[in-house]
Amino acid sequence: MNALTKFSLLVQGRFGRKRLRRIGLGSIPFIFLLTLWQMNTTFEWLAPVFIPSIGGVIDAIFILQSDCGGVWDILSLDNTCLMTTHILSSIGRVLLAAVIGIPLGIIFGILAGMNRLISTVLEPVGVFANSISGIAWVPLAIVWFGVGWMTTLFIMLNTVFWLMFFNAMLGTRGIAKVYEQSVLTLGGSRWNIFIQVYLPGAMPSIITGMRMSLGFGWRALIAAEMIGGDSGLGFMIFTAAEEFNVEQVFLGVIVISIIYLATDHYLLGPLEKWTIHRWGLTWKPT
Amino acid sequence: MTAKLVVQGLSHHYPDEYTGVSVHALDDINLEVNDGEFVAIVGPSGCGKTTLLNILAGLLRYREGNATVDGKKIDGPGPDRGVVFQEHAILPWRTVAGNIGHGLELQKIPRQERQDRVAEYIELVGLVGFEDRYPHELSGGMKQRCAVARTLCADPEIMLMDEPFAAVDAQTRITLQEELIRIAIATKKTILFITHAVDEAAFLGDRCFVFSRRPGRLRETVHINIPRAERNWGDIAANPEFVRARDRILALVREEVIADDR
Amino acid sequence: MTDRLNRFLAFWRHFPGAKVINLALVIAGLLTAWALISGSIDNPDRYLPSPLAVAASSVDMLYKGLLPSYFGDTISRLLLGSLIGLGLGIPFGLLLGLNRTVSDIFFPIMNFFQSVSGIAIFPIVVIWWGNSDKTVLAVILYTSFFPVAFNVLSGVREVPLRYIHAAYTLGASKFQVIRDVLAPGALPHIATGSRLSIGFAWRAVIAGEMLAGREGLGWMIFTGQDADMTSQVILGMLMIGLTWIVLDHYLLRPLEADTIERWGLVQR
Repeated sequence: MNALTKFSLLVQGRFGRKRLRRIGLGSIPFIFLLTLWQMNTTFEWLAPVFIPSIGGVIDAIFILQSDCGGVWDILSLDNTCLMTTHILSSIGRVLLAAVIGIPLGIIFGILAGMNRLISTVLEPVGVFANSISGIAWVPLAIVWFGVGWMTTLFIMLNTVFWLMFFNAMLGTRGIAKVYEQSVLTLGGSRWNIFIQVYLPGAMPSIITGMRMSLGFGWRALIAAEMIGGDSGLGFMIFTAAEEFNVEQVFLGVIVISIIYLATDHYLLGPLEKWTIHRWGLTWKPT
Repeated sequence: MTAKLVVQGLSHHYPDEYTGVSVHALDDINLEVNDGEFVAIVGPSGCGKTTLLNILAGLLRYREGNATVDGKKIDGPGPDRGVVFQEHAILPWRTVAGNIGHGLELQKIPRQERQDRVAEYIELVGLVGFEDRYPHELSGGMKQRCAVARTLCADPEIMLMDEPFAAVDAQTRITLQEELIRIAIATKKTILFITHAVDEAAFLGDRCFVFSRRPGRLRETVHINIPRAERNWGDIAANPEFVRARDRILALVREEVIADDR
Repeated sequence: MTDRLNRFLAFWRHFPGAKVINLALVIAGLLTAWALISGSIDNPDRYLPSPLAVAASSVDMLYKGLLPSYFGDTISRLLLGSLIGLGLGIPFGLLLGLNRTVSDIFFPIMNFFQSVSGIAIFPIVVIWWGNSDKTVLAVILYTSFFPVAFNVLSGVREVPLRYIHAAYTLGASKFQVIRDVLAPGALPHIATGSRLSIGFAWRAVIAGEMLAGREGLGWMIFTGQDADMTSQVILGMLMIGLTWIVLDHYLLRPLEADTIERWGLVQR
């Protein structure tokens, strides 16, 4: 057995054969696309104004970060670190909207799931709010808050809240009555039931809601930043497009996708595993 | 012997879930359960057994009549009356130990004392080694053992059981019944056990209340004078007292079912 | 007293018209609240015009024929874009799913593309084709193609192998396996994916009209804000919301539920 076989066996043992095969096969189209992209630049099939070179896109990072003075400038959203500033301001809005919108949505959703009166009033409002897509709120938000932070935050918050509300409500309605009864007979209060029965019981639905919030909210946020923002990745690619700066547009689109995929994979995936998989609750699509 | 649970003149009506028409579920129920006694309630399905249990558990409000535990009127659910539900009632998001200690946690018992008592009941129901498992990793029989331990661990005055073994397979049911007898001997708890299985009622109960079809009335009380130590399925089938009690209960239930069919 | 109330509530819950009346009451209440808020703020015409003002602007726009024309533009864009998107996406997903190895190859990249929002593509497309109908259509096509193609692909992947083997042992040809096993097996996913795609397409239509400035409901609310005609903005939003409710709740959802139920298999 030579060193190479040993190494290959080690890698296979570490990651699993099936997984390795999937990763290997799955990366083929990506490599193919990148090759095609590079060939386009080499043979100049389409002008660089339409499809920039890979090197140009990477260079765009350095152009945007040209005068960046270090970590402090990045964190203080200094204009010399344009790319990180746009990234951080988009992520900041997502975080802020999540920190406010998710708990509020869950609380109201569970209350509506517990109480018929609340749901009679809030359910139609929620159906309507979810039907007006996030982007359609942009013009009204501009009227109310002007162009900038507040408008984009509002769009994200609005999307997150109603999706969380709906999913938490449906999740709460689906919980078997007997869990509530058993906690009551053990001497639990309404508060105990809220925390120990409804919240974990609605968790599969709540996590679906978080997935949807992130998916729809992120899209809505990018669009809102294009129309009604003055910072963020959406703003960055939109203004870059106006200046025909294709490199920055491509860079922005790639960063947007990577952030979304990374959040979905590294944040929501483990959360799902640690709650509903561990509890053996089935995942209910809504 | 003192009466633990007293029910006097209890009647109950409720509006039907779908039609809204008033249903007469219980009619003038009078009964007593003594301290440390094991009482089974048998009746045809829809005879109001579960309604009675829900009223005693405090999950259902009643207006006509009176029900007391140790002289205290039943008004809402409370830890003095523990309930073992039919199935799927232990919380899926708590481990076995977490479920069993839940009642103590709700009563704000300090952690150390809680752990000791949880360990004691895990031992009693034979779930040692499964403390950190989640319910979906357990078999049906183990889930119900866990449910029984959860109720006992909260140290109720009386344990109400609503057809707890109806959903487990026949082999497991026999084991669980024998174990319940052993637990009743060990803990000396007062137990009210609802079932539709005649064998089960005759095997478990010191006395058996047979209910009529709807509106539910207490038709007859059957005494089963067999010491608990002699109650195991190996010997009891040949016991003339068991046979007499079982046949009597069966005859009463059959009458009700047949009358209902007409 | 509480007894009577409970009995009434139990009756009300089963009264056939109760839901409609409840909804009407809620809507009336919301309209009243809206009117009250609008009446109590400064400069309501700019910040929150009253329901009456919105109604008046709708009459005005109906009279000029603008509202039906915008509505028609938006709907035809949605139909064109999503029909082409579904027409391409469903067969594409089926084709990629035919072979396990092929589907393993394409699964990650399809997942990648379906999660890149179509709206983010807009600036790229706008560089290629400018602010044109072509740009809007391209964005709609992109947003509707990938979700459905990805869903169909994963649907085919999830058809149990034993069904396929069973068909082969009965002497089925490759084409017959596709027609009789894979396509019907993936049908619930096709239904779900189509609804998802049309939903994304709807958002893309509105965003595309705003960004590229093509006439339609999205354009109507965008220019309404620009021209300081807030009542027109709110009217547009109401139209967008109502259209989607009608489309989703009365057309797409029942269709999806029907397919999934008829096949009796809820996979996932």
